[in-house]
Amino acid sequence: MLSLKNVSKSFGGVKAVERCSFEVEECTITSLIGPNGAGKTTVFNITSGLTKPDSGTIKLLGKNITGMPAYKIAQSGISRTFQITKVFKNLTIRDNLLIAKRTNDTEMNRVLESVYLNKPLDTIASELSYGQQRLLELARALSMPHNLLLLDEPTAGVNPQIRQELKSILRNLRKEGKTILLIEHDMDFVMDISNTVIVLNEGRVLKTGKPKEIVKDKKVLEAYLGK
Amino acid sequence: MPLQSILPQLFINGLIAGSVYALAACGFALVYYVVKFQYFSQGAILTIGAYIFFLFLNLMGLNYILAAILSIIISILAALTTNWLVYRPLRKRKAGGVPLLVASIVILIFSSSLMQALFGSSTKTLLLSNQNKVFTFGFLTITLFQIAIIILAFILFFLLFYILMRTRLGKAMRALADNKDVAQIVGINPEKIYNYTFIISAVLGGISGILIGLEQNLYPRMGVLIIIKGFISSVIGGLGSVPGAIVGGLFIGLVENIGIWFLPSSYKDVISFSIMLLFLLFRPQGILGVRMRDDN
Amino acid sequence: MITDFFISFSTYVIIYIIIVSSFNISFGFTGLVNLGHMVFFGIGAYTSAILTLHGMPWYFALILAGLFTSLIGAAIAAITVRLKGDYFQIVTLGLVFIAIAISRNWISLTRGALGLPGIPPIIKDNFNYMLFTFLVCVICLAFFYWLTKSETGKIFQAIRDDETAASILGKNTYFYKVLSITISTFFAGIAGSLFVHFIKFVDPSIFDLDFFVIILTMLVAGGLASITGSIIGVVSLAITSEALRFVVVNPELIGPVRHMSLMLILILILIYRPRGILGKVNV
Repeated sequence: MLSLKNVSKSFGGVKAVERCSFEVEECTITSLIGPNGAGKTTVFNITSGLTKPDSGTIKLLGKNITGMPAYKIAQSGISRTFQITKVFKNLTIRDNLLIAKRTNDTEMNRVLESVYLNKPLDTIASELSYGQQRLLELARALSMPHNLLLLDEPTAGVNPQIRQELKSILRNLRKEGKTILLIEHDMDFVMDISNTVIVLNEGRVLKTGKPKEIVKDKKVLEAYLGK
Repeated sequence: MPLQSILPQLFINGLIAGSVYALAACGFALVYYVVKFQYFSQGAILTIGAYIFFLFLNLMGLNYILAAILSIIISILAALTTNWLVYRPLRKRKAGGVPLLVASIVILIFSSSLMQALFGSSTKTLLLSNQNKVFTFGFLTITLFQIAIIILAFILFFLLFYILMRTRLGKAMRALADNKDVAQIVGINPEKIYNYTFIISAVLGGISGILIGLEQNLYPRMGVLIIIKGFISSVIGGLGSVPGAIVGGLFIGLVENIGIWFLPSSYKDVISFSIMLLFLLFRPQGILGVRMRDDN
Repeated sequence: MITDFFISFSTYVIIYIIIVSSFNISFGFTGLVNLGHMVFFGIGAYTSAILTLHGMPWYFALILAGLFTSLIGAAIAAITVRLKGDYFQIVTLGLVFIAIAISRNWISLTRGALGLPGIPPIIKDNFNYMLFTFLVCVICLAFFYWLTKSETGKIFQAIRDDETAASILGKNTYFYKVLSITISTFFAGIAGSLFVHFIKFVDPSIFDLDFFVIILTMLVAGGLASITGSIIGVVSLAITSEALRFVVVNPELIGPVRHMSLMLILILILIYRPRGILGKVNV
């Protein structure tokens, strides 16, 4: 589905991502983990076209999308959320969803229901709580037609109940045939729902494997705890 | 006259204009650097400095040193008043860059209307004795006063650097400019340092107002025209950099004055603006390569 | 006498409503703080003046003023909307000084500082001209209401709130920003044309920042991202400004005092009521 090959990016001499390569299989949930500053969000920004890589290639369904503007990558089928939510705060829920896809109220309510956000469509986004804004952002990312969904720390700043709900949301999406790549710090969450885990450290891929293999790996432990 | 023989004269003219632009620009840049907004109302301070000097010198007949000191004091009061009445309340309500920018443009235009209401819209002339004493070197002519402008400007630049680099206040300003939160943790009171920043830029503004008033003339819109040059200088040198503003001011002064050999003099504004646009498009960090503010 | 005053006052108000709401499209709805918006009003005024002085019928001149102005607007936007927030404002503010320099120096076209007198009116009778501007204004407002409710209008607002989010939802934000400026400058040009055929004279002072500050006050007072707000902002401030005529005794002071009062109002709104009367977003 998605493949990164030897992708590198540095910011003013600091290497954020270095010769990073991995693949995401169709109909799976893949988690990207690693300590702070490992380059996870930079990988997301490069994949969604917000940051141009210095070198390397990114392919989506075999099509080279390297260096394309963000809106074209979005149109090619990558939808995403952000670590710090980016809802259109002065727009209503309806208009937020409308930007993602032209559709009717019934459809919109269905998407909101699927993410457990029960609010009237006319609510202004800024009136929602932070957790609810995250859900709205997720609903918006789901509404946009896509093949691959990138979620940047979906559990950050949401209450434990919503966290449980997120698990079932993501599992349902996988059942529907969606492919998801997510960044997550909550290890229980990651181990519970992922098919594949990719460990990043200092901008490089340290280890790729099934959740069970990852928890046993010595190198991964070292990266997290220090030598 | 061939270009080679007039070039030294154009160069000197450019240096004079450049010193004035740089003076106006460094007050603007200092506030942009420390307080983080586009301080167009530095132009209002300039206008006030010039008109108050005119009031004390020509209308009340005071000695020029006393008149200058009084007008600098009033410039400081004006700058502090705008901070207290406008900028601080805006910072308190956590307003973004746009309201602060709009407010500073409004204060700038306000000053020109105020001067028009108080002193009338006609042009006023300031004159000191000996001011127009001319020195001639071959093709080159320069007045005593123009020499004084250049020397005074460079003394002020030196003092400003000294304050910024060598004093406690300067360190606090740089800390605040670098990271407000961290500066507060180490015990720096931002509002206090902001007040000092406005005072220093008002001293620069008052003095440049007086110098411009003496070199050119006084008219209500003078501040608008000068601060635009000051701000173009600041962009070209590197927005948010005080040394950049000085380099940019001198650069613009020279380019405009040498440029008018090729173009009508009223196209001065177009020359400097076009250069600014080229910088913004191809080198937005300016001559001194200051990194621009990241909005992400 | 009273009716003459009322007719000319209403005509100004109507033209200001067009210019202020067109400014709201770029500033209020799209978040593009185009500090040179009044430059486009001036371009429209000059275009229409020059064309009619050379014998072109007014209706062609009016439309061409809009089209030519929006062409310049689109060209400038194509270069500048890529610049980050601060720099976009800087460049658009710079347009004001470029416009002043060009209109002063391109003597063969603009007669420089002397200005262009004797511009033919569209309709000789002031009352009928007021009705005509009213009709144009209604058409403009109908378009603005439609635009801001349309999908394009929603995308403008999405870009204002979060440009990155709009781009990862597949919107070409560059295109929409250029479009927003193009539309808003088209109507600025139309307003300029209506204005110049009313006062029948134009000179470089049309580009002065003083005029811009008045328009800005009306926009911010009415409120960003609300067309109804813009209408109310123009009407209420125009009345306030006219009322000052009766307060200020010295005729020489009327201009500056009026001007300063409007600026004080703007500052107070910025501090205490950043949404103005009906605004949807803070300044």
